[in-house]
Amino acid sequence: MAYHSPYRAPPHMNAPPDQGFLWNIFQRVDKDRSGVISDSELQQALSNGTWTPFNPVTVRSIISMFDRENKGGVNFNEFAGVWKYITDWQNIFRTYDRDNSGFIDKNELKQALTGFGEHPSYRLSDQFYGTLIDKFDRQRKGQVAFDDFIQCCIVLQRLTDVFRRYDTDQDGWIQVSYEQYLSMVFNIV
Amino acid sequence: MSFNYGQGYPGGGNPPPSAQYGGNYGAYGAPPSAPYSGAPGPTGGPYGAYGVPGQGGQYGHGPGGPPGGSYGGYGGQAYGGPHASAGNIPPGVNPEAYQWFQSVDTDRSGFINLKELKQALVNSNWSAFNDETCLMMINIFDKTRSGRIDLFGFSALWDFMQRWRAIFQQHDRDRSGCISGMELQQALAQMGYNLSPQFSETVVQRFTVRGMRPGIQLDRFIQVCTQLQSMTQVFRERDTAMTGNIRISYEDFLSGAITRLM
Repeated sequence: MAYHSPYRAPPHMNAPPDQGFLWNIFQRVDKDRSGVISDSELQQALSNGTWTPFNPVTVRSIISMFDRENKGGVNFNEFAGVWKYITDWQNIFRTYDRDNSGFIDKNELKQALTGFGEHPSYRLSDQFYGTLIDKFDRQRKGQVAFDDFIQCCIVLQRLTDVFRRYDTDQDGWIQVSYEQYLSMVFNIV
Repeated sequence: MSFNYGQGYPGGGNPPPSAQYGGNYGAYGAPPSAPYSGAPGPTGGPYGAYGVPGQGGQYGHGPGGPPGGSYGGYGGQAYGGPHASAGNIPPGVNPEAYQWFQSVDTDRSGFINLKELKQALVNSNWSAFNDETCLMMINIFDKTRSGRIDLFGFSALWDFMQRWRAIFQQHDRDRSGCISGMELQQALAQMGYNLSPQFSETVVQRFTVRGMRPGIQLDRFIQVCTQLQSMTQVFRERDTAMTGNIRISYEDFLSGAITRLM
């Protein structure tokens, strides 16, 4: 194991919550009592702390990460993973959102993303963090809210994973053909 | 000896027309005249950057799809022409788009947002367009970067969509409302992309709606084709020697995908 991924929420940050507690939440979120929480059910249950609807693209990304049978939602077992995933990110977000504004700025984002250890050849420039803010800041405040922060991390994670697959010598450079390049970016977005 | 990507590269038949909508096109701001572009885009409308490519063809393999014709003349008609604009339709606005805009902009704000746009756009099975495609189109046509589009932006979006719809229908041979991997392959070849059948199959699998048979509907088709155009552009900018291969750093790889794909 060379180095761990910088953008993945670190494992075991929180003690696993009590099953009864989770079941309670699951039932409240699963409004139609189908036993599966859909995108829209999860979206309604989540708050980004800023009174705007939770980013639907983030919701879709999270659900698809845990939805094993491709059923368009998560069952109770999978929901435990979703819960943990979101609360882990929430803890990280809160650590860097020092003034509790519900947003983190470019410097805070940089700290949040490098906080997990980073391979030297995968270091990113200040300008790049500016690009990230620009792209993921849905509310046009020059900073990112919680939901957009998660989406940013998910996208970075996927791109980094696919890049690493080609970067066998881990020098931060790859050589790819046109079709390989398209396949790389198409499989992750 | 240079590598042929297709898409009128280099200097091929019909590069996608490259003028931009408005001044502020955010993510999709491909440089208006990339050094590779050949002749200026034939359809020349002001909104063409993500316009539908013409029938480039010469870099595709084989005969490349059915004889065109059905959309050959399509691209030229709509823009800014003197529509017989009844009453208060501003000049240059597609009357049909105008009607839709009025019915979707229920709060009469003069803008439509993501939610309202989703109500305006449907696939042939009447399912709403997916969020990603709607967001992508808002990003392209939202000149104020406010996350919503005005009447002019919507009109341009409408034309953009109608042109993709025509191509979609042309390649949806069995009229299933869905494009299969093979149909996508033919569509891409006709647009001039030089990509393997395996690539189209993978893309279709990737974008098939869960629980449906393999295939992509109009929304995904527009998403795929638009992203393919912009990612090809990213690749070309880096493949200065035109070898069909690039060496790219981690950060450059990330920025290319993040700024142009979303």
